[in-house]
Amino acid sequence: MKNAAEATIADREITRSFQKSGMTSKEDLFRSLVAEHQEMVINTCYRFVFNREDAEDLAQDVFVEVFRSLEQFREESRLSTWIYRIAVTKSLDHLRRIKRVKRFGSLKRIIGAEDPSGELPAPFSENPAEALAENERANILQSALNRLPDSQKAAFLLSKQDGFSNQEIAEILKTSVSAVESLIHRAKKNLHDRLYTYYQHH
Amino acid sequence: MKKQQEHIEREVGKTMQMLDELKPLEVHHQFRVRLMQRVEGEFGEGSKAMKIGFSRYFDLRLALMALLLVINLSTALLSFKSNDMQVSAGISELLDNMGDDYTTQEFAYYEQTASQSVDTATDSTVR
Repeated sequence: MKNAAEATIADREITRSFQKSGMTSKEDLFRSLVAEHQEMVINTCYRFVFNREDAEDLAQDVFVEVFRSLEQFREESRLSTWIYRIAVTKSLDHLRRIKRVKRFGSLKRIIGAEDPSGELPAPFSENPAEALAENERANILQSALNRLPDSQKAAFLLSKQDGFSNQEIAEILKTSVSAVESLIHRAKKNLHDRLYTYYQHH
Repeated sequence: MKKQQEHIEREVGKTMQMLDELKPLEVHHQFRVRLMQRVEGEFGEGSKAMKIGFSRYFDLRLALMALLLVINLSTALLSFKSNDMQVSAGISELLDNMGDDYTTQEFAYYEQTASQSVDTATDSTVR
């Protein structure tokens, strides 16, 4: 990833040229934005959802939202920060939706109707046995992560992604660096405690 | 007991490590194509034409509504005006009728007798 100063300059240039050019070259500018940020957006979403298809769908939603709201973008933050903020919001919304679906799925199971949408595949390995074990581990991790508060989850998952400094995470989450550090620390502790409790009983 | 704790800690560590070992995704070569198709579908010429069609349809409806409103208002105004004229005509007619009523032959008797009685009264005083 580029350093912050370079990214800021690039963002400003894109924004200025967009503001000067009007609607005609909006698509060209959008294309350049997608080219520049697609990898980071997809990987940000992937950290949250553990699933390639969902991550790509979410990334599409993010860029559609960017296209829709590009004219309303004010230079209060960097363009990249704004895009990653949309990615985080969309990912958290997606997780909430899955939670609701799961809740509905368990209700369906109680009344006798199965719901396959509750299962989230996590293809980490090519070996079937390993893949199965990793899949289970991924599900355990995901369910522990999903029980964290949104702010802790977002700060922790962003910190695990290459390219985001605590300063950038603070800008994305609209908070201070010390708050981000605290959120990450609490998230790690909560996650450890939840996983410990889980393995104690299984 | 200690062994079990160590085992649990190892499992916890392995599970948490998954996040660090998560390999970054490479963007699918069709991603941008699909995205641009979707953007084109949602904001492109087709949807623009549809939006223009909708706006024209709504403009037409708005114009029709405005026309109906103007017709209604002018009809109301006209009917109000004609009513007003009728009322004023009615009043003047009533006044005329009243005037006619008191100048008819029947009332002439009272007027005549009244004037006659005044005349006789003045004659007697003169005498």
